[in-house]
Amino acid sequence: MAEIAERSQSRLSARPSLWSELLRKEDWWAIWIGLGLVAAAVALFANGASIKWIAVAPQKWAHLANAAAQLQAHAVQYAALFVLWAVSLGIGAAALGFKLTRFVPAFLVLYVAAGAIYFLGLWDQAAHYNLEPPLVALGLGLLVSNTVGVPRWLEPGLRVEFYIKTGIVLLGASLPLTLIAWAGPVAIVQAAIVSLVTFGVIYYSAVRLGLDRRLAATLGTGGAVCGVSGAIAIGGAVGAKKDQVSVAISLVVVWAIVMIFVLPLAARSLHLSTGVAGAWIGTSEFADAAGLAAAQTYGGYAGNVPGIAGHAEAAVSAFTLMKVIGRDVWIGVWAFVLSLIATTRWERTPVQSKADAGEIWRRFPKFVLGFLAASAVITLVSKGYDYAAYKKDVLPGLVAPLQALRTWTFTFAFLSIGLTTRIRQFVSVGARPFYAFTLGVAVNVVLGFVLSTQVFSDFWNRLGQ
Amino acid sequence: MSSVRPGSCADCRHFNGRPLDIEAALPGLSSLSSAYAAVRSNDGICAVHDRYVAASSVCASYAGRQLVDSSASRRRRHES
Repeated sequence: MAEIAERSQSRLSARPSLWSELLRKEDWWAIWIGLGLVAAAVALFANGASIKWIAVAPQKWAHLANAAAQLQAHAVQYAALFVLWAVSLGIGAAALGFKLTRFVPAFLVLYVAAGAIYFLGLWDQAAHYNLEPPLVALGLGLLVSNTVGVPRWLEPGLRVEFYIKTGIVLLGASLPLTLIAWAGPVAIVQAAIVSLVTFGVIYYSAVRLGLDRRLAATLGTGGAVCGVSGAIAIGGAVGAKKDQVSVAISLVVVWAIVMIFVLPLAARSLHLSTGVAGAWIGTSEFADAAGLAAAQTYGGYAGNVPGIAGHAEAAVSAFTLMKVIGRDVWIGVWAFVLSLIATTRWERTPVQSKADAGEIWRRFPKFVLGFLAASAVITLVSKGYDYAAYKKDVLPGLVAPLQALRTWTFTFAFLSIGLTTRIRQFVSVGARPFYAFTLGVAVNVVLGFVLSTQVFSDFWNRLGQ
Repeated sequence: MSSVRPGSCADCRHFNGRPLDIEAALPGLSSLSSAYAAVRSNDGICAVHDRYVAASSVCASYAGRQLVDSSASRRRRHES
């Protein structure tokens, strides 16, 4: 009985308060951690120092002996970086409800594995053997989780979204606010075209195939807006059956992982510039973490694969503008509109949802605010520098260390995607949802390609220069 | 912050909005998203209708959580 009462008590958090939102949603923790690191970096920079000592990252190496020497020379820094991550991410994880004593050992394993993959990616033959860190992290994780399996004690450390959101906040530090203002409207227009068309194709083909409208809407937003996050946001807003949400999640995850490998390879074979490829991936991938894996992979080709124009950062920048600014931020609007339609137009269910405009803010991906704030802070700090001084002082002393920290968080996320994806766990989706979703994927990929490489290609190419 | 109405799913004992339970019930959710994400708002799983619903939803099968809590407390006092 006491157990029942305890369980019942533990569910009493269903009524949210402002404080519980700020402390119990990982979006806000990504902001606190990401902006905390940016603030520390700026404070040190303003006092003539730099965060770069602790933001250690591997350098290019040719032989194992070089790599071992690097590791030995910077061992204290790598240990300090682990402490920094374990403390900052650990506090966030503890606030979310994970026990620190379980999170830290799991995170230690993740950190060591991510470090090994980061080092491998800096091998001077890595590009020759297609050993791009995101693909290696994902492939290795998938192999482990689907063969020998992941021990339960490791699970608290595998928080894909927590890491990727923290990384996106840090990414704001390398994207000037002026660039976001310049490129944002084009990203929104391109993303709006693709999102509306993809949603329409999936929704109407699903309804034509006889599927329930709530499943059709959940599938549609999963494919058109923001992947698994879109599926759960709309599933909840329209009151879909639990199995319908599971079907949408399964389809999104499988297609998103396929696209991590397919989109960079297709773009590479077509010799797309990094800016154009990033925009295409941002239009046609389904989830932030999956898309960033694909975009970072493609950015790694710049300078290593002949015929790929543009700088490495452009792929990730274009992806983020397209996916985060163009698609993610609109999920609350989608949720409100679809819940309104569900309550007024669709057949009633035993559970009555309530359409409420407050939904737009409640479901807003708050980490985007951290991304914009980081961009604004660095833009402000860089304002007094001309380009030469920026390259000489601001880039190595402030921006590059934050980029290195971002790469760490992304590597944690990519490895966690693989380690948490167990193909056997996915529900049997059925033929009709598969056909409807796959048709949407096909339209999305083709339309995203045409818009990125033809209609807006000049724009995305300029972003990469 | 909240638009939850009295007598809504948020207060119902059949409603489970605990993030880890939601992630366990929806395989793949934690691979590319999370039950701790802002986009989830305060949605949860209704054990009666087997639906994924907003905390502000209502239905005829509502069963107040406080009744269960107070009866559990009474039983605990009785057992002790």
